[in-house]
Amino acid sequence: MFYLHLRNELWKLFGKKRTYIGFAMFLLAQNAMLLAFRFTKWQSDLERMLQGNGYLAEEFISALTVAVIMLVPQILLLMPLYTTLVGGDMVAKEAEDGTLRMILSRPVSRFRLLLVKWLAGAIFAVTLVLVLGAMALLFARIWFPWKGMFVFAPGHAFAILGADEGWQRYLLAHVFMAVNATTMLSLAFMFSCCNMKPAAATILALSYLFVNLVLEAIPFFDRFEVWLLPYHFRCWLHVFNSPVPWVDVLQSQIVLVAANLTVFIIGATIFQMRDIKS
Amino acid sequence: MIQLSNVRKEFGRRVAVNDLSLAVPSGEIFGLLGHNGAGKSTAIGMMLGQVWPTAGAVRVCGHDVTRHRARALQKVGAIFESPAFYDYLSGWRNLEILSTYTAPTSPQRIREVLDWVGLSQREHSPVRTYSHGMRARLALAQALLPHPELLILDEPGEGLDPEGIHEIRQTVLRLHRELGLTILLSSHLLSEVEQLCTRIAVLHNGRRVFQGRLEETRRRNHWVRLQVSDFAAAVRVLENAGSISNHREGERIALCPGVETDEVVRRLVAADIAVFEIAREADSLESFYLSLMSDYRGEKGAASEPEA
Repeated sequence: MFYLHLRNELWKLFGKKRTYIGFAMFLLAQNAMLLAFRFTKWQSDLERMLQGNGYLAEEFISALTVAVIMLVPQILLLMPLYTTLVGGDMVAKEAEDGTLRMILSRPVSRFRLLLVKWLAGAIFAVTLVLVLGAMALLFARIWFPWKGMFVFAPGHAFAILGADEGWQRYLLAHVFMAVNATTMLSLAFMFSCCNMKPAAATILALSYLFVNLVLEAIPFFDRFEVWLLPYHFRCWLHVFNSPVPWVDVLQSQIVLVAANLTVFIIGATIFQMRDIKS
Repeated sequence: MIQLSNVRKEFGRRVAVNDLSLAVPSGEIFGLLGHNGAGKSTAIGMMLGQVWPTAGAVRVCGHDVTRHRARALQKVGAIFESPAFYDYLSGWRNLEILSTYTAPTSPQRIREVLDWVGLSQREHSPVRTYSHGMRARLALAQALLPHPELLILDEPGEGLDPEGIHEIRQTVLRLHRELGLTILLSSHLLSEVEQLCTRIAVLHNGRRVFQGRLEETRRRNHWVRLQVSDFAAAVRVLENAGSISNHREGERIALCPGVETDEVVRRLVAADIAVFEIAREADSLESFYLSLMSDYRGEKGAASEPEA
């Protein structure tokens, strides 16, 4: 039964056109960035930076390097938008449309319903990250060779890796990006469990993330940055460093998993208590 | 089949349902009547475990809905006004999705129900292409899939044209006759309720103001149409004699219990008032309902007078 309920949620989620907006926008953004990298000063600036640090630029301007360059802004800007858009829809849209009332006239527990909905959302988040990573690498490979990897994210990563090791770290980074995406979705999902419009749930989740980013940028909050989600979201960049700071990465993952669990429990409690009316 | 005991529901400060007790016996077509905001949908919401009662107990199929919702709703199907579906999915897929929330359902059972409701030609088209009538049939199909013993219909005729309303009426009768279902029907359409239901309850401002068999509504009708030479004088005579309890519209009188029309005529003739016509009102549910609502509105008005 659990499998059937999960299958239902996946049918509902992936049957909707708006679910694919994120995939389409990532596709467009990646190609736009790729063209910008190839035909503007962006590539020559990177070559200069590599040469300034004593590396042969032609060895590290590769598909892997360009794929990560494309991922950084997309993970920061586009990922929250599309995960919260789907997360905010999951319960609130069904309540708004009236289908939730149809479901809840049947002997299914509210907790079970919410759990399968969240799982379907998590599957969407993981899929979005995997497709994003695969597309970034695929498109970058069309224009750039398969060589060593260079990653530079000020304050978080500076890495020069061989192609094999770079590929492995690239794959590993996706595990942590998937956790990030799931956490963003969970946040919107929690708001979606309240009696509000789907757009309101999405906006509240985005606002929460935005406030976190603003607070993080204020010097006074430096000492509190471990309490802010974006600090932990960036742990995927740390896996490119050598050696990998596993303690920090693990700590961030625990915080993100705990955040997921907390918002799910809050959402489930609210959903359990509320009245479902037309 | 359904038992509500002293149920109360508050939404903030507003009391939607107040001390409501209701019993829907097995095998009946039970009508739930009331004005907009009377508490019908809230009561149905509580029966389906969608709205939590503030106080009281709700039992469906012998189980407490608040505590054992899954067991209580195992044999229940429900249809709401303007049934909602996943419009971008086919009718068949909608049925697959909704039915699994009760129990896994075989394709053969889905086919059987689609045939029963007459929707077997369009089951693979997206629901967004369905007419209002087809959506109503799909709603019925989803309600019938889990082999229900109790069917709850919340304003099923809402938004339908006369043909659609006729179809729903025939379907309800067929469901009752062929499948032996107990049916709870909430509706504004008094003529439909009158043609379908064997028993009714009337809600007014969250309270139950009547519950009984449909025949009782006819027996309780005590209004008589009276055409006389001087209605005001006739009322005075009959009131002094204690024969009537009320009068309205210059031609209607309400007889006191035990008083028959022959006694009224005798008194009026004795008082030298010419009687042209006297007849009991046609026994319709509408007149009963309106009279009941008028009584309760009057009661409310009277109750509020001292405060004013």
